[in-house]
Amino acid sequence: MGTKFNLDRKPVTDEEINSRKDFGELVNKFKKQSIEKARSDVNFLKNKKATYSAIIAGVAVVCTVTYFAVFKKEPPKETANDKIVTTQQQHTTSPENKQNKAFIAPPISKLNVPYTSYKVKSEHGATIKHKSNSKIIIPKKAFVDKQGQDIVGEVEIKYREFHNQADIIASGIPMTYDSAGVQSHFESAGMIDIKGYQNGEPVFINPKKQITVEFSSEHTADRYNMYELDTVAKNWTYLSRDNSLKNKKQSIASQPAKQKEIEKTDSPKAQELQKQIDAIPPKIEAEKTTYTQKVNQLPKHTEPNKPTKAIAGRPQFQLEVNYKEFPELQAFKNAVFEVGTENKNYNSKLADITWSSAEVSEGPQKGKNYLLTLKLRERVEKLIVYPALTGADYDKALKSYESKFADYKNLAAKREADEKRLKEEFEEKQTALFEERKKLKEEQVQANIKYWKEQQAKLDEEYSSMGNQEKVVRIFNISRFNIYNSDCPKSLPNDAKINPIYVLNNGASRIIPSNIYLISHSRNLVYNLPYGQLPYNTNEKYSLCVLSKGKLYLCNKETFTTITAAKQNKIPLTELDANVNDAADLKKAMGI
Amino acid sequence: MLLDAVHMEFSPRYHHTADMLLDEQMIIEAAKQNPEHFGPLYDKYYKQIFGYVYQRMDDKDTAFDLTAQVFLKALTNIEKYEYKGVPFASWLYRIAHSEVMQLFRNNSKLRTVNADISDLRNICEEVEEEYMEQYKGILMTVIKDLPEDELQLIELRFFEKRAFKEIAEILNLTETNAKVKLYRILERVKKTLTKTSK
Repeated sequence: MGTKFNLDRKPVTDEEINSRKDFGELVNKFKKQSIEKARSDVNFLKNKKATYSAIIAGVAVVCTVTYFAVFKKEPPKETANDKIVTTQQQHTTSPENKQNKAFIAPPISKLNVPYTSYKVKSEHGATIKHKSNSKIIIPKKAFVDKQGQDIVGEVEIKYREFHNQADIIASGIPMTYDSAGVQSHFESAGMIDIKGYQNGEPVFINPKKQITVEFSSEHTADRYNMYELDTVAKNWTYLSRDNSLKNKKQSIASQPAKQKEIEKTDSPKAQELQKQIDAIPPKIEAEKTTYTQKVNQLPKHTEPNKPTKAIAGRPQFQLEVNYKEFPELQAFKNAVFEVGTENKNYNSKLADITWSSAEVSEGPQKGKNYLLTLKLRERVEKLIVYPALTGADYDKALKSYESKFADYKNLAAKREADEKRLKEEFEEKQTALFEERKKLKEEQVQANIKYWKEQQAKLDEEYSSMGNQEKVVRIFNISRFNIYNSDCPKSLPNDAKINPIYVLNNGASRIIPSNIYLISHSRNLVYNLPYGQLPYNTNEKYSLCVLSKGKLYLCNKETFTTITAAKQNKIPLTELDANVNDAADLKKAMGI
Repeated sequence: MLLDAVHMEFSPRYHHTADMLLDEQMIIEAAKQNPEHFGPLYDKYYKQIFGYVYQRMDDKDTAFDLTAQVFLKALTNIEKYEYKGVPFASWLYRIAHSEVMQLFRNNSKLRTVNADISDLRNICEEVEEEYMEQYKGILMTVIKDLPEDELQLIELRFFEKRAFKEIAEILNLTETNAKVKLYRILERVKKTLTKTSK
């Protein structure tokens, strides 16, 4: 059977090809192979030792050469730093430092962040205020020697802090974090390095005590964790969530509480407006009183009583009336008083009695009926009586009534009109006052809002202008001298990659860097990368710091942005100025 | 002349500017010092080497495994590499060629030929014969029955569209030798096609 011939076979996609790429695996295989080769060479020599002892010296030389030829690429012992997970970007070895490279390797010693020394009497303890405003709180008897015995006398505390990308690069402290094989890079809220010595010998923190560092952090976000550097495992150890910022915000800045306090207080203008608002109800009351008074002052008119025609057959009394006392009866001159049907006590016999006195007083219906009180010695009879007219008297009275009623109606209508006008005038004034009150209240609210905003702005300004110590204090509770950080692990940027060529002097010469520091200007983060593809996120700003043959070179963020935007891969570098003498100078040079 | 008349386009992947070669050389020197600096070369050539390997077989996993093996060999032997006119890519292809041939010596059933119909048309044009549907089967039979070294030439030239310079470097031939060998193969192909069309 001949060779199989496939026509128009489906091609393998780039995604599939890329998914099978694993440079880390390749390097691991290479290392393993090199180690096995070296071991087999050694075993071979051991087995032949007895037989070929005469030539062992010569073989040993060859073996040594072989060993170094193989191992010069990699130390034989595997370390955390050697772990390669997926891509080559996650390693930090270099040609310059591959042999015996210290775990903490400052690239240029003169730039390294220096320690500040403090002397503390162990038996007294102390609170040290560092130049950054951080506080180191050391309790009494906080130190023991290597035998665990309390230390008496003066202890030297060596302390330093790392706040920004320049400090991180200058210190050479690894900022990669390996968690279950997944490697991340630390975004830092700050890092401390603290040591203790007595007479040049290291001292230890008493296991029953803790040193507290109130670290003045420049980074106010609340997303960090506490880590301790494990220089043996060559990795960071997670300690806890960094909650110190939360506590600090509550205790020192206490913004929400202050805000409430502000909101409780009316602005001066609002207070002035409140006085005007408070004056309005009395004004309304006064207007009401004026209105009532005016209404009361309007002339009152009494409706004339319509004369009643006497009904034939009904019992009647003829009475002498004092018309001054009952003016309404003027119209009933010559009137008779009919006994009302409601008088159940009336009988005809009452008319036959000659009463000793008869008095007329107001009846239950004023102006309509009257109460006739008849007395004879002890006997008293009370009758409700109605005035009534007869014959011509009625006609005359009716005519007079009609004339008076017409006048009355006119006057009543006028009064009603006057009352209505007065009411309308009052209501208009009342509405105007209500409107004024509403307007004042709105003005008051606006005045308060403006005032509260001004106050809040002042508070914010005050808050911003506070020293770092007051802004964010991160609490490190320390049980042993070491390096600690408050950091947040981040993945490598993954939007895009370039295959960089690092050039100097306008491209006239090239360099192979041993360390590449990709500096994020969006976060306090430095990616320490090996020579190889350079990853970046398109929406973030970066600059580069490159170490090659003991020299640092920079590519500022403007240049880096231009290069990546143009998808170029030649990265022009500038050698770090010789006048850059410390991490602060480096920070300036890096444009941080 | 057959080979002078070639008008098909060739992949530009092989063509390096002096700058590119210099940059590559610097990376190679760095990788000689530290294997982790081999990364850019691995990234640059992985797809090409996989393509070369997979061109000659059906089994994708075997092709990926063999590609990994090629790079491991390259990394192991990188100290031996010196630029003497053969670009690094060709050096990698030589390793790949050697590994592929070793695999086929152990298991010849893995060997397959893979081409597109357009590649067969190109061969017809090269031998100045108008492509006809009936040629498809003839060409497939002729090509798959070629001895391995001749099949390699056809594959590299027509299926992978490589320049003679590159073909010569991969197969460790002179460029002229590669051209002559290919010319002879094509003459035989032409004869077969002419005979069939009659």
